[in-house]
Amino acid sequence: MLSDRRRLFPLGAAVAAVALTGMLSEVRLAVLFSVIVTAIAALGLDLLVARTGELSLAHAAFLGVGAFTAINVGGRGATWGIAVIAAVAVTAAVATVVGLPSLRIRGLQVAIATLAFQDAAEKYLFTREDVTAGDKLLSRPSVLRTDTRLYLLALAALALVLLVRRRVTTTRAGRSFVAVRDIGERARSFGVEPGPTKLLAYALSGAIVGLAGALLATHEGTIGTATDPFRLLESLQLVAIAVVGGAGSATGIVIAAFLVKGLPQLAGGDFLRDWTPIISAGLLVVAVVAQPRGVGGVLRDIVDRALPKRATPSPPVEGVDLASVERPLALRLPVPALLRAHEVSVTYGGLRALDRLTLEVRKGEIVGLIGANGAGKSTFFNAVSGFAPVTGSIRYRDVELLQTRPAGRTALGTARTFQDMGLVRAETVAENLLLAQTWLADYPSALGILGLGSTVRRERELRRRAHAALEIFGLRELAGERLGDLPYGTMRRVEIASAVAAGPDLLLLDEATAGLGPEESHALAGTFLDLRAELGLTLVVIEHHVPVIARVCDYAYCLESGVLIAEGAPVDVTADPAVIASFLGTRP
Amino acid sequence: MAELVTGLSAGAAYALVAVGIVLIFKGTRALSFAQGEIGAFGLFIGLRWSDRGVPGFGWHLPLLMTLFVAVAVGALLGFVVERLVMRRLVHRPPLDGVIATLGIALFLALLEKQWFGAATQFAPSPVGSWRVRVFGATLTAPRVVALLAAAAVAVILYLFFERTRFGLGVRATTDDATVARLLGVPVNQVYRFAWVVGGALAGLAAALLAPAFGGLTPFAQTSFSIRSLAGAVIGGLDSIWGAIIGSLAVGVIETYVKGHSSIGGVDSLAVLVLVIVTLVVRPRGVFGSAGAV
Repeated sequence: MLSDRRRLFPLGAAVAAVALTGMLSEVRLAVLFSVIVTAIAALGLDLLVARTGELSLAHAAFLGVGAFTAINVGGRGATWGIAVIAAVAVTAAVATVVGLPSLRIRGLQVAIATLAFQDAAEKYLFTREDVTAGDKLLSRPSVLRTDTRLYLLALAALALVLLVRRRVTTTRAGRSFVAVRDIGERARSFGVEPGPTKLLAYALSGAIVGLAGALLATHEGTIGTATDPFRLLESLQLVAIAVVGGAGSATGIVIAAFLVKGLPQLAGGDFLRDWTPIISAGLLVVAVVAQPRGVGGVLRDIVDRALPKRATPSPPVEGVDLASVERPLALRLPVPALLRAHEVSVTYGGLRALDRLTLEVRKGEIVGLIGANGAGKSTFFNAVSGFAPVTGSIRYRDVELLQTRPAGRTALGTARTFQDMGLVRAETVAENLLLAQTWLADYPSALGILGLGSTVRRERELRRRAHAALEIFGLRELAGERLGDLPYGTMRRVEIASAVAAGPDLLLLDEATAGLGPEESHALAGTFLDLRAELGLTLVVIEHHVPVIARVCDYAYCLESGVLIAEGAPVDVTADPAVIASFLGTRP
Repeated sequence: MAELVTGLSAGAAYALVAVGIVLIFKGTRALSFAQGEIGAFGLFIGLRWSDRGVPGFGWHLPLLMTLFVAVAVGALLGFVVERLVMRRLVHRPPLDGVIATLGIALFLALLEKQWFGAATQFAPSPVGSWRVRVFGATLTAPRVVALLAAAAVAVILYLFFERTRFGLGVRATTDDATVARLLGVPVNQVYRFAWVVGGALAGLAAALLAPAFGGLTPFAQTSFSIRSLAGAVIGGLDSIWGAIIGSLAVGVIETYVKGHSSIGGVDSLAVLVLVIVTLVVRPRGVFGSAGAV
C-alpha cells in the first residue's frame, strides 16, 4: 500500500512526462518513444522473470511477433485498433505456446528452449517475406497523425501496463506466480495449479510485449528487413534492463530503460552512445553478483529514508467467522468419523513408505501421530493432502479423497502445514495468508486483473479473514513483515495461521513444535486446544514432544517403517514397550 | 553419406564448445551462455594481431598462431570470469549464473562491436587451406581438424576423469561440492580448471568454426553456441559423452535439413524442434543423470 505522499511520485512523473512533449524536437520524441517501447517490453519480461522465476530469452522475438502481426493485420485493411488488439492477442498466444514446455522442464532448460525459439524466430520467421511484409503499411488513425500524439499514446500505454502490473501483484494472479516459483507443487493445496498459472504468466507477459510491438509498428508504419530490435542482442538487453532496473521494481525498470536507450541518444556525444550499452552489460553482471536490488532497490531505500512508511491500518476483524466458508455440496452429513484411512499404502520406487495403514479421526478430536524419523508420518499427510501416490482409500466426511485434486481436498475442509515450511519466504505474512486462501478467491486469476468490483470486495473479505486468523495467533502487528525475516518459531505460527485462514475443519500439523523451546511448545500446544474450542477444528498432529502429546491428544497412533505398531490413549501408547523400543531404535 | 560427414564435422566443432559447457556444469553447476562469445573474443584479437600486428611489436602473427591466441585468450577469459564472477555465485540459484553469463556474453559482444566493428570479418583458416575427400564429401581443413580435435578431447577427458586424482575430484565436486571440500578436494581449483578448459575449448572451436561458417561477426558466435547448448541439453547437461553425441546429432540433422530445403533458417527451426522434443520427452537429456537439472 502506498501512503498518501508516496502516491505523489507516479503522479509527478506522469505530469512531467506529458509536459515534456511540448518542449521536445521530433528526434528527441522518437528517442523517448523507443524508451517507452523498451520499458514496456522489459516490464512484460520482468513480470515473467521476477514473479515466476522463468527466464525467457525470446522476448525480442515476441516484440517482433507483435510488430509484424500489427503490420500484417493493419496492412490488410483492418482498422488500427483491430491491428493492435490482434498484435496483443497473437503475441500472448505465441508466448503461451513457447511457455508450454515449461510445464515439464525447469529454469535452466526453459532458458535454453526460449533461446532456441529466439534463434528460430530470427532466422526463419523474420526472414520470410510474408511475415515481414515490407510492402504493407500500418496506417495510423487520424488522431495519431503527429508524433507528439503518438508519444502521448505510448505514455498512456505505459501507464496502462503499470496499472495491470499493480493489479497482478495485488490479486490472485501475482500471488500464484510467486507461489509456483517458490513452493511449486505445494501451492496446489492452496488452489494454485502450477501449469495454468505458468501459462497465464507467459500469456500476460506476451500480451504486454505484444502491445510494445504494436506501438513500435505504429511508429514505423512498416518494418520489412529492419529486424534489429527483434534480435537476440535485444533480448539480452531486455534482460539487462529488467535485472539492472531491480527485479520486480517498475520504477527501476523504466529508469533503466531510459538510461540504456534514451540517455546516450539524448545527451549526444560519441563516447556515451558507444559505451552505454557496454557499461549496462557490465552492470548486469555486477547487479547479479552484488544483488543490490537494482536501481529500484536503491530508489526505494532513498524514498524510505525520506518518507518513513506509515503503518497501514489493518481491516477490522470483528464479525469474521473463519469457519463460514462455502463448501462443495452435501458434505454436512453427520458421519461417525471425519477422516477414515483404509489400507493406505504409499510406495516410492521399491520403498514402501506406508504399508496398509488404517486409522480414523473423529470430529472434534486431537489425534497424535508419532514415530521415529522415516516412520511414514509425513507420508500419511502427503497421502491425505494429495502429494503421494496412494493405493487404498482415504475418505473425508465419507467422500473419497483419492479422486480429488489437492485444491479440492482443501475445499472439502482439510488443510495442512509442512515440516519444512510450505509458504513463500520472500513475501509478507499477510500475502502468505492471502495465498493460502486462493481456493476461496472466487474469481479467475486472469479476471482479477480487470479490477472488477466483485474482485475488490472479495479481496477485502480475504484480507479480513487473514487478519482474523493472525489475531488468533497474536501475529496481527507482523502482517506487513517479510516472512523470511521473522524468527523460526514465528514462521511456524504464521504457517498454522495461514492453514487456519483457509477455513478447514480438519487441520494436519506436521511437527508444529519442532525446533521450539519447551515454553514455546507449551504455548503452541495451548493454541491447539483453543483452535478446537473456539473454531471447532479437528486436529491431527505429528509430534515428537511427549509432554505435548500427553497434554493435548485424545488418541494417538504410532508408526514404524510405514506400519502401525500401536494405537490408543496417549498415556498407553507412549508407555508401550514396542513404541519405546521404536523410538530408541532397539527391538524389545 | 556426404551430408553425414559434413554434418559430423560441423557437429564436432559444436561439440568442442558443448564439452566446455558440460565441464563447467559438472564442475560448478553453472550453465554458461557465454562460451560462444568467450571463444569469439579470443579469435577477434588473434585476427587483429595477424592483420595489423601485435601492438608495440609490429609483428604480424602467422595464421596458425591466431588459433593459439584464441585458445589462450579464451582460457584467460575463463579464468577471469570464474574468479571475478562465477565463484561468487556458486551458492546462488542456478538462474543467477545464467543471467551473469548472458551479461558476460553481451558485454564481450558489444566490446567486439566497439573495437572491431559490426561488419563480418573474414576469418582465414588457421590450419591451412587443404581439403580432404571422405565418402563423397569434401571437408576443408578446419572441419577435419575440428573432427580430430573433438575426438582427442573426448579421449583426453575420458582418461582425465577415469585415471587422475584431480578428475576424481571434479566428479566428487559434481556430486556434492560441500562434501568434496570437506574431504579435501580443492574445490576452488576444480571451478577454475573447469572454466579455464571451457574457455580454451571455446577459443579452439571459434578458430575452427569461423572459417567454416563464413567469418566472424560480433554476437554471431552466441548463435552458434545455441547449437552447442542444444547439443549439451540433448545429450544431458552432466554427460561429456552426451554432449559430444548430442552436438554431432545437431550438426548432422541441421546439415541434412539445410540440404533438403531451400527455406531460410530451416536449420534453426530444426534445432528448436529437436531441443523441445528432447526436453519434453526426456528432460534430463539422453545420457544425463536423474538429478542433473
